Amino acid sequence: MDLNGLSADQAPPISSPARLFLTAPIFGVIAGILIFLSDAGALKSRFSLESIAITHTITIGFLGFVMLGALTQMLPVLAGVSVKRVGIIAKISYIFLLFGTLFMIFGLLQNISNIILISSLFLSGGFLVMIVPMLVSLKSVASATASTRAITTSLIFAFMVIFIGAYLLSGYGIHKLSSMHLLFANIHSVWAVFGFAGVLIIGVSFHVLPMFYVAPKFKPFYMRRVVGFISAGLLLWLILNMFLDLYSIVAKIWIAALFLAFSVAVFLKLNARRRPISDITIWYWKSATLFMAFGSFSWIIDDYFNGEYAVIVSVLIGGGFLLSIMIGMLYKIVPFLVWFHLNAKGYMSIPTMNEMIDKKLTRIQFVLFVLSLAGFVFSFFISFLLPIFAALFIVSMLILEYNIVSPILIYIKILKTKPDFDMSLFLMSTEGKD
Amino acid sequence: MSSIKEYLSADHSRCDELFANMEDAVSKSIDSAEDAYKLFAEATERHFQMEERVMFMEFEQKTGMTQGPTAMMRHEHSQMRNLLKEMGSAIEAKDRDKFFGYSETLMVLMQQHNMKEEQMLYTMAQQHLSAESDRIVEMMECMIAE
Repeated sequence: MDLNGLSADQAPPISSPARLFLTAPIFGVIAGILIFLSDAGALKSRFSLESIAITHTITIGFLGFVMLGALTQMLPVLAGVSVKRVGIIAKISYIFLLFGTLFMIFGLLQNISNIILISSLFLSGGFLVMIVPMLVSLKSVASATASTRAITTSLIFAFMVIFIGAYLLSGYGIHKLSSMHLLFANIHSVWAVFGFAGVLIIGVSFHVLPMFYVAPKFKPFYMRRVVGFISAGLLLWLILNMFLDLYSIVAKIWIAALFLAFSVAVFLKLNARRRPISDITIWYWKSATLFMAFGSFSWIIDDYFNGEYAVIVSVLIGGGFLLSIMIGMLYKIVPFLVWFHLNAKGYMSIPTMNEMIDKKLTRIQFVLFVLSLAGFVFSFFISFLLPIFAALFIVSMLILEYNIVSPILIYIKILKTKPDFDMSLFLMSTEGKD
Repeated sequence: MSSIKEYLSADHSRCDELFANMEDAVSKSIDSAEDAYKLFAEATERHFQMEERVMFMEFEQKTGMTQGPTAMMRHEHSQMRNLLKEMGSAIEAKDRDKFFGYSETLMVLMQQHNMKEEQMLYTMAQQHLSAESDRIVEMMECMIAE
């Protein structure tokens, strides 16, 4: 068995996840500005270049960055494995992803071939540099758990989503969309949302909910089987889409039902939790489950309207479910990382996790975020409202950025002072190397 | 008799329950939360000592790994002991915000620590010490915390 995960030597340096986490809300702000400046009519179609650019500002710039950051941090703990040279790998990946996302947004909005093609290369490179070593290290897990299986499955879906995404983006780059473009675009988006992000969230929640909130555990049968059921549903959906499109709704209902069941289970478990606290992370988890419930229904119903309401489905599932959980996680993980790394460096007089972020501001941020999402749904029908809710979304992302920068500033400030203990006396280093 | 992994993992769950009871007590009234705090603090200290004085020592003897994972776990125990002390001081000072600040930090640290133990160290210990598993569990059960 690899015991590396037990050693803080193998823990990633704080900079690896932190730079990804701190950049994510900035992409949220960029997405908000793009929505604010966009023609509401163009956003009603998911295939307009504007829609694609805005969607990926959120899915890659926010969700992708947070998921990769969280994975670097969670793999040693959840799976007991560490990615070799994670510091340098995370840095390279970050640079590629940052420029890849910016080039993609700019290239699509300005319709500049070369920039789009470069972004396609940068993005696939940025993701693969991280995902491949993670998959390799997951191979060495001695006793696989439901969570490690879910993470592996999620990364395999990510791997395929990246290749399909690069292919689709290149199509826009060379101004030539193949006859399979629509099919591939559907596979790309559905596998990314449910296969990559959805399965990852489910796998992590198996541990997070019982542990951090002392909520009832998931049933062993559910933990063993649900990821397999979802994967089977996603594969069935692919096959039906390709050969028997008329029946693809069956697979869609199958996938939606599994995520609906997950949402209901999470909601009930949180209500039955033993910890009395009701912090912002609980609010985010609960709102995510509600958005997912509405989202899964609307995804099915949308099928009868030929995808006319796909934008609403994206707001509910992508924004309401995925973004909510990621933001909630940021509020938990960033202050803890700061506390953990300072403590490991010998600093004992550190503010507590609760003191690092202004609680009032987290609540304001949450309300603005939920309002903006609800507003985006309304704006689909009443276009002139869109800039108002885009502005709310921008403000919520700016507050989020402030909220998670605050603990990092505390980290930097304390680091300039002398530690209470000289940790170099310990035989084992307690900080990973960059 | 349960295995080392089962025994210590069950004790983690028991500590989690006591942790939740303690937070519940503080959220109702910090003035009368001292008993719930003591129950949790004592159970946690006893758990640490069962590991440090019994299981870790047996593991180190068997594997020869004294500066490896057990050293790291000991270091995390000392971090958690400090947080426990701060929580006790917060209860004495009737400072709810301080208490929940420390308890939240302890919760995340403790769960990260437990996960590493349950998924790696206990499994490893069970593999190396399977022949002596009953004796070690009995020693831990009989141990009187200092």
